[in-house]
Amino acid sequence: MAAEHIIKSYDEELSRLNKIIVEMGGLAESQLASAIDAVVQRDSDLAGRVVEGDAAVDQLERDLDNLAIRLLALRQPMARDLREIVVALKIASDLERICDYAANVAKRSIALSQAPPIQPVYALPRMGRLALLLVKDVIDAYVERDPDKALAVWNRDEELDEMYASIFREFLTYMMEDPRNIGACTHLLFMAKNIERIGDHATNIAENLYYLVHGTPLTQARPKGDNSSIQVVAPDRAGMR
Amino acid sequence: MEQLQTMSPVTARPLPIEPAARPEQPAEATATAEAPAIKVEIRNVSFFYGKFQALKDISLPLYDRNVTAFIGPSGCGKSTLLRVLNRIYELYPGHLATGEVLVGGENILDPGLDPNRLRARIGMVFQKPTPFPMSVYENIAFGIRLYERLPKSELDDRIESALRRAALWDEVKDKLRQSGLRLSGGQQQRLCIARAIAIEPEILLLDEPASALDPISTQRIEELIAELKADYCIAIVTHNMQQAARSSDYTAFLYSGELVEFDETERIFTHPTKRRTEDYITGRFG
Repeated sequence: MAAEHIIKSYDEELSRLNKIIVEMGGLAESQLASAIDAVVQRDSDLAGRVVEGDAAVDQLERDLDNLAIRLLALRQPMARDLREIVVALKIASDLERICDYAANVAKRSIALSQAPPIQPVYALPRMGRLALLLVKDVIDAYVERDPDKALAVWNRDEELDEMYASIFREFLTYMMEDPRNIGACTHLLFMAKNIERIGDHATNIAENLYYLVHGTPLTQARPKGDNSSIQVVAPDRAGMR
Repeated sequence: MEQLQTMSPVTARPLPIEPAARPEQPAEATATAEAPAIKVEIRNVSFFYGKFQALKDISLPLYDRNVTAFIGPSGCGKSTLLRVLNRIYELYPGHLATGEVLVGGENILDPGLDPNRLRARIGMVFQKPTPFPMSVYENIAFGIRLYERLPKSELDDRIESALRRAALWDEVKDKLRQSGLRLSGGQQQRLCIARAIAIEPEILLLDEPASALDPISTQRIEELIAELKADYCIAIVTHNMQQAARSSDYTAFLYSGELVEFDETERIFTHPTKRRTEDYITGRFG
């Protein structure tokens, strides 16, 4: 951080903004971790707590919005101070979305745990753990104002995309093998997609942090590892004849 | 957010990624419409109050039909620089400027140049409104008569036009014979601006033109600056950073008599390149 402001209360408000982001980041991590545990352990109580916990994050986001608007109106921030505030607003909305996705995963896990366990459930936590690592690293990068660390997260999201693409194919296979898998696999597919989206929000945060520190946007195209959205599944025509 | 992605795997992942370069104008574009013409070229200007050096080797352009703001803490030399531009410092003994200030290729610091002719080309407005103790009409006619002999009807037209351009006409058209001193502070300042533009200068120097005015009058002056820049090259000294950000196209940050940074205003207030500039504009100056 740069030197202190002449007006001390300005610094205090900026550091409060910072603290809310860090608190939201901590909640995002714990919500996601609990959601994954709820899936693995088929623990509906834990899942229920994750769903309920989402309200706390929403409240923090509202607090941050109010503080940011107040800072913009009363301090007329310039240069890096302005970026701090605008970026905090954007990061808060990414963190809020991450928590929404975690709550979605938890919600679906309640439905999933009412059906008999199926094999691909175990592929999901692996993806969840990587997403959790990305969220944790990008929050650390924010705390340390470390754009290189953020860039590493930005680049690693490709792995998560690849995992999602492979899970997508795997689930399709299961569904084609036995239509009784379709119910559970559809839930799992949505959960995997939610986790994949969490990775995208982590990269958004990384991009915003990069802009905060350098003052210029990260314009390079991000590596992508997921092509499932343009894949077409069709029964083997030769086999149908 | 979600887009169809190409199926080709991305193999090259260059790291670290360079910060995005400032979008540069293509060379042709810079040469034609985009680049404003330089009206004043300040070259290696130093200034001395006796033994004290108040300006150290300042070089920067002032673009025509653009507003350039000089910002910096008290004593940084910004007002001094403005005073060099119309040689008003010469009125005081022991004041000395070196270097060159080129206007249309002519060095206005050249002692052979008649300072009165110079000041007709370069108008100046000060921090405190300085109307003469005479009528609104005479305040403006006075300057014109110094340089030109106009028939009464033409003089009237010139005065009306100056007052209109200074956004004051509607407020004073019925009291042209009243003393200029009876106008409000904001009106007095606009009267001074009208007086400066009545002699049709090329360059307008504004030294804290709004610092003694209330917010509404300040905004009137800023709106006026925005209108006047269609015709003039304007330089403004201001302590109010928001004012510099709002009303200028280019900003020069001075500190201890040195030019720390000169760039487009947008750049200076969003992403300055010098740490000292950033500290100053964000209120971190020790």
